[in-house]
Formats: sequence, C-alpha cells, structure tokens
Amino acid sequence: MTPFAPPLMAPAKRGLPAHLPGLPLAHAHVLPFAPLLALLPGLPPALPHALPQRLLLALLLALPLALPLALLPGLATLAHAQTVDYGALEATFGEPVTTSVTGKPQRATDAPANIEIITRDDIRRSGATTIPDVLRFVTGLDVRDYGLGSADVGIRGYNQAANPHLMVLVDGRQVYMVDYGRIIWAAIPVQLDEIRQIEVIKGPNSALYGFNAVGGVINIITYDPLKDKLDTATARAGTQSYLGGSAVGTGQIGNTAALRLSAGGFNARDFPAGPLSPADRASRQPPYDGNINADSRWQITPFVEAFGDVSAGENRLSDQEPPGVFGTERLSTYAVRFGVAADTALGSLGLSVTANSARVEIGEVNAALPVTVGEAQSSTVIQASDLVKLGLHHTLRFGLEFRKDADDSGFLTGGTISDQIAAVSLMWDWEITPSVTLTDAVRVDALQLHHAGILLPGTGLTNAQYDDTTLTEPSFNSGLVWKASDDDTFRVTLARGVQLPTLLQYGLSLRSTALVPPTVFLGSPDLNPAIVWNAELDYDRSLPPLDSVLRNAVFVQQTDDVVAWPFGTPLAAVQRGTPIFDSRNVGNTDAAGAEVELKGQNAAGFRWQASYALVATSDHTVLDAGPVPTSIVEYAHSTPNNVVIGGIGYSRDRLELDLLARWQSSYLDFRVNPQRTGLVAVNIDNYVTMTARVGYRLTDTLTLALTAQQFAQDQLVETAGPPVQRQIIASLTVRL
Amino acid sequence: MQTRAHAAIAPRPSQLACRDLGVVMARIAVMACIACVAGAAPSAAAATLSPQELLIVGHAVGFMQPPPTAGTVAVVYATGDAASRQDADAIAAEIGTGLQAGSAVLAPKVVDAAALAKGGFAVAIAASGANGPALGAAVRAARILCVTADLAAVGDGFCTMGITAKPRVTIVLNHAAAEAADISFVAAFRMMIREM
Repeated sequence: MTPFAPPLMAPAKRGLPAHLPGLPLAHAHVLPFAPLLALLPGLPPALPHALPQRLLLALLLALPLALPLALLPGLATLAHAQTVDYGALEATFGEPVTTSVTGKPQRATDAPANIEIITRDDIRRSGATTIPDVLRFVTGLDVRDYGLGSADVGIRGYNQAANPHLMVLVDGRQVYMVDYGRIIWAAIPVQLDEIRQIEVIKGPNSALYGFNAVGGVINIITYDPLKDKLDTATARAGTQSYLGGSAVGTGQIGNTAALRLSAGGFNARDFPAGPLSPADRASRQPPYDGNINADSRWQITPFVEAFGDVSAGENRLSDQEPPGVFGTERLSTYAVRFGVAADTALGSLGLSVTANSARVEIGEVNAALPVTVGEAQSSTVIQASDLVKLGLHHTLRFGLEFRKDADDSGFLTGGTISDQIAAVSLMWDWEITPSVTLTDAVRVDALQLHHAGILLPGTGLTNAQYDDTTLTEPSFNSGLVWKASDDDTFRVTLARGVQLPTLLQYGLSLRSTALVPPTVFLGSPDLNPAIVWNAELDYDRSLPPLDSVLRNAVFVQQTDDVVAWPFGTPLAAVQRGTPIFDSRNVGNTDAAGAEVELKGQNAAGFRWQASYALVATSDHTVLDAGPVPTSIVEYAHSTPNNVVIGGIGYSRDRLELDLLARWQSSYLDFRVNPQRTGLVAVNIDNYVTMTARVGYRLTDTLTLALTAQQFAQDQLVETAGPPVQRQIIASLTVRL
Repeated sequence: MQTRAHAAIAPRPSQLACRDLGVVMARIAVMACIACVAGAAPSAAAATLSPQELLIVGHAVGFMQPPPTAGTVAVVYATGDAASRQDADAIAAEIGTGLQAGSAVLAPKVVDAAALAKGGFAVAIAASGANGPALGAAVRAARILCVTADLAAVGDGFCTMGITAKPRVTIVLNHAAAEAADISFVAAFRMMIREM
C-alpha cells in the first residue's frame, strides 16, 4: 500500500463537526478585540513560554495610548494626508508608487526588490475576469487553473497546488487561508474595477510580512474612497453559461468621510471533468462566487485618518484539497479591519486590527462515498508601525505584530490547532549618495502552538506537546540599489525568508478508514520552518528611443527543511497494524533562474511586452523514492522551466485592441489515482495560451468589450485536472 | 497529454541539478548580452519649467502642509533681463488661469524678486535667469516656497525646490531653505524626494 490516501475517502457520510454550526471560534474572531481581550487577564495556561507576547502586548497597548500624546499641540506637526495618496504621488512622479517592499512609499523603479506593478489599465486591457487571469501574463509567475474561477499561482519555480509560498494582501490585509497556507483567489473580496494596481514582489519578503512571504508577495491596492470617487458597474455574459458582474460605488462627505461599497460575482457551468477519476468527476459542481465589501475612511483631524472595512463572501469552486484530489469546495468568508494612521513629530504612526474568518466545506458528492468535511478557520492580526524620516537620508520603520491563527475541524485536526505569533521588525533605508540606496530590514517572529481537542489515540501526540512548542526565527531582507544613470539601475538583494509549516502540517490528526488497513495521517509539532535563502541581481535599462524599459534578473535560491504534508512522506511507524504517516521536514531544494522583459508603449497608441523566464529547480528530499509517486512536493519537475510571454496592443480614439500570449515548456503534474493508493504523474505538454480583447467606448461612460480567453484551442490541458476550455465573454461597463 | 509512471522519466536529482544549472548559466550569459543594449544619453535639465514640470509643481505644492488654500503664484524674473522676463511670461501663459495645487487654484502673476515683499503669494516659480541671491533672500523673507528647474540653484540655496521631468521626474528640496521659510511637506512626499 502506498501512503497517499486523501481524507475525503472516509466511507461514512460525515456532516459538519458538531462545533461548526455555531462557529464559536469564527464568531469570536469577527470581533477583532476578542483575542486581545482574551490575553488581557493573563495568558492562557496553555502558553507558558509566551513572555515575549506579554512584552509585545504591552507595546501594542502602549502605542495607541501614545498616539494621542503625540497628537498634542506642540508635539504634532500638521499634515493633511495620512494613508499614502497613491494617485497624487503617481501623478507627481509619473510612475506607480508602492509601499509593499519596505513599508516606505517609493517609486517602483527605486524599490530594493524585484517588483512588477500591474496598473488598472493593464487589468482592463487584459480582459481578465479574475486576478489569476491577470497574473498569468506576468513574467516569472505560473498559474494553474482547476476550473472557472479557481486557480493557484506560483512564483519562480514553486508551482504547486495549494501553494503555501505566497503572501497575498488587499491594501495590506493578509488574505491567505491558514489550513494549507493557500490562496482562494475568488474569495478575495475585491472587484477588478476597484483595483488601482496589483503589486507583485518576486522573492522572499519575510522581513516585512513575516512567515510565508517566501516565494513572493502580491499586494492588491484598491482606490482610496476619500481621494478617488469611483462609480462603476460591469455586466458580463459568455460561454460556459457564464453570467457575472460587479458594481462599485463611492459616497463622500466633503473631504472628511467616505465609503466605497462593492459587490460582484458570477455563476457558470464548469469546464469538463476530463481525465478525473469517477469520484473526482462526481464531485464537480457548477461554480459560483459572490463577494461584498465596504471600505470607509475618515479624516478625523487634518493629521489623523481612520479607516475600516468589512467584507463577506460565498463561493463554490473546483479546488485541490488535499493536493492531488480535484474536488469541490464551498467557502464562506468574513473579514473586518479598522485602524488609524497619523502624521506626527514621531513619524507616521499606524495601528490596525484585522480579523478574518472562513468556514470551509469540502464536499465529495458521490453516491458511493458521500463525504463533507468542514473547517472553521480564523486569523486575527494586530499591527502597529512607525515610519519616520531621520535627517535627510535615513528612513526607519518600526513594526510590531501580533497574530493568532486557528483551524477548527474535528475531522481533520481532532479539535482546534492554533498558533500565536508575536513579531518585531525594523527597516532602515539609507540614501548613501543620490544614486545609491541601501535598505536593510530584519524581523524576529516568535511562535507558540496550541491544540485543544482529542488527538488520535495511540499516536503519541498530546495536547501538551503542542502547547510546549515554541520557536523563534529571524528573517532579513537587504537590498542595494544603484542608479548608475538616469536610464540604468542595478539592484542586488539578499534575503532570508521563513516559511512556517501550515496549521494542518502541524495539527492534522486523521484516521482514514477508507484504506485497507486503516491509515493514520498526522501533523507534527516538531516541524522546523523552511528557511529560504535568496540572492538576486537585477538590471533595469530605460530605452527612450524604443519607448521601452528592459528589465533583467538573475537569482539563486535555496530552501532548507522543506516541509511536506503527510500524504506521501515515508512511513513513520506501524502500530497494531495501522500505518502512520506524518508531516516532516524532508530535505532541501535549490532554484536558479533568470528573467528578461521588454515592455513599452508609444505616443502613437501602440504597446508591447515580451519576456522570457527561465527557472531550474533541483530537489534533495527523501520523497518519491519508490516506483510510484506519492508526494506532490516535486519542485524539480512540477514547474515549467521556460516561459515566454508576449503581448501587443493598440489604442485609438475609442478603440482598444489587445492580444496576450504565453508559451510554457512541459512539466509534471499529479493527481490521485482512481484507486486512491498513489499519485499519477502526468506530463503536461508545452502549450500556448492566448487571450484577446476588443474594447470600444460607446460613450464617455459606456464601454463594450469582447474577450476571448484561451482562444487558440477548444480546450487546453494545463494541469493533471480538468482541461481549460475556450471562453468568450462580452462585457458592458458603465463608469460615471 | 501523456500519462506515465513518474519514476520512469525522472532523472536523478543530482544529474538534473548539474544539467539544468549548466543550461541556466549559458542562458544567463545570453541574457546578459541582451541586457547590454544601449540607449540614448540622458538630456541635460532645462533651466525653465516645461508644461509637464509645471503640472508637477502643482502636485508638489499640494503636498505642502498645510497646503495653500488661496493666493497667487509669483512667476519671478530677473530684473533687467529681457530673456528672463520673456520666460516668465511664457510660464505664466502656460499656467493660464491658474495652477492646480491640491484643491486650490493659484493664479499666476509675473513679478521681479523685489515684488515678493508685497506679500499675497503662495508659491514662487523662478523663470530662467532669476535664480540668485536676491531671489533666495526674497523667498526667505516672504516665507514662501520657491520652485525652479535649475537643480544647482537649489543646492546653492537660491531656491527651495528643484523639479525636472526628463529623463525621469526628479524633485530636490533644500532642507535648510525650507526650514528657514517654515515650509514642510507630508511625510510620504518627503520620503520620495531627494533632500539636501
């Protein structure tokens, strides 16, 4: 018998765990102060080693108390804008502005990291209906589609299902799922029409964002309701019975308060099941997605701004959970955040509290094996920062963060697995000369695990083991930017990123009776985080005669202590005839690569892009030693080594024409075999996918567009799962 | 699409690493050659403000704290310098009815440096040839922001802020001159400009 046996194979019909309907945990975390209040009387007895958290908590509490003091007349300097005014700064400097790399506002070309900014115009012209559709044509990124609206995104060689290497944020709010550390893109409560820009940072950035920002960071920046009045609506209809749309409206009370409301969604018939096993085939259901979001800002005084946003979403999408199993997942998400920012003599102070919660139902609708697994996930994050320019050439950013993540599933984890993380960070940006800038950032994260519930007996795991688990990890980012001339920029970066094992890798406690003999899959509290070392050299060259910019990058990366899910690791033990497999650190992996990109546009209305990305990865792990593959942790073969992206567009008067194409070399992908006893490795042949869009402005407020996605073939095999069909979508946009 | 047993096609990791690394290095070398494509030499900064630079002046003034809510833009020429006066007139004509600075619209007025003492000006724009000790003293006395396209004049302290748009937007602030005139900017803007 091979160790792979997905948890969905349990033979008995299972409803949601008894504790799910009430969702006490999720509800607790919708109240953002709940975890904070829970800490106030004293740390729970389960956290004996949490002294750093006490210290951090005291600092977090001290900061808002200090804020009013800082605002006292005589101490505070007058300012009129607190959050970064992206629109005004972009208009001033003639290029997109970002805070994603260091926390400091800076021009994209000055940032000490490889960052690509996708503008609102890029998004519109791409014809995309989802964010992964936009990212598909970004150099160095790989997108895996599982169905309409469902995809995973990888950066530079870590192209895998439920990718835990990415950090994705909306206006700085983290949106990843804590179970697998994955991103459910459709559940991100943002409409494409309200996005100002998408910032893609390639490479680790743990020193600013902490755990999991090891492959890269994608920060989705929306319009500021206080500064940008956006009223728009889009309706879409197309093949696959696709019906969708979105609406965004902004209300402003002078310059003092504003609210932007947005809502959107779609439903459709999904792509055909293709080669999926009968069980996976039966589990596919028509996808739908709906999200609503409210984003508010208040200018409390000329130098203090408050903000708050709340969102909710419901969707049902094809997905891979666990990786290799193509099923359907239903997700309900809620998020709330509020905060305050102020310009003071002490610097730009910021404080925010965010609470995310998600209820996940993984359904395998199959008459023979009806299974529904439920999870309640939550995360609460409190962040405080101070960004200050000292003298003429130094900028410092101090950051404090406390977060609590929890995954509550009687079926998967035997209760609730949770962590609490306290972190302190410092960024120092030094303008050594007008043309040379050095940026260093360090961050130390301290983690405390906790498990409550009943772990599987006979496995040796106890709640106390989890409660005794702590770890402290430093991370750093360093970047030297040399503007050799007005046209030439060199950038050298070095980073140590930290990838925390996901909550399921820590806390899985699953006995699958679908297998003969019954098999146990465990997490492990003894896991080490994966450490990612990265070095990169970039060279950007403006080419005024060509109205273009040439960007070049070479990088090397090593990941130590790769963490693998228990589905596919070597046998850990056999107890009373029951095989036990556990999550473990399985070795290391190396990657090296290079990217070249030429991008430009001219006054005649033409625009173009061409890029080539190369990445080669080698694995040195204990996995997949046998004749049949058992683990998807197979980076060396599961990423296309070569990717070429090209695009051309033209605008004239009211017309926009765009064509984007991507060719990628072959790679290996995996799906569970029909017997559920192992994986089938599927060679995905090299392929070309093309998207075209024609947009025409009927009036100043009305735009009609026709988009053909993946139009070169009827259907295309992009993964080991369902093929991706040609999709034609017509849209009508009203923008007031 | 082909389906096959994974072990049959997978090279040993060490073989793969060596082979791929060689390929990577070779391709990186090719890319490095491509990267050597030469572009045009940067152009020198103009001494007068272009229309694009005037727009940037408006944006920059909008980042002052507090931003001006009313007033006039003084377009300053050098007394007795016909070319300078001509440039000032051209700048004023380009501004037209007003310079958009944040939420304010500032009407232009062509003056010489001595006229700044009369007050009523929110910002001074130095026409070509106007930068000099007289202008520096006048804007300090009037406690107003002075903007020029001559970055060297900023270094000399004759004018507070220098702005050029080509080949890329550059904004330079003489910190001492700004402090002397009690002029400050929002933090985000300060972090994005070069201060001297």
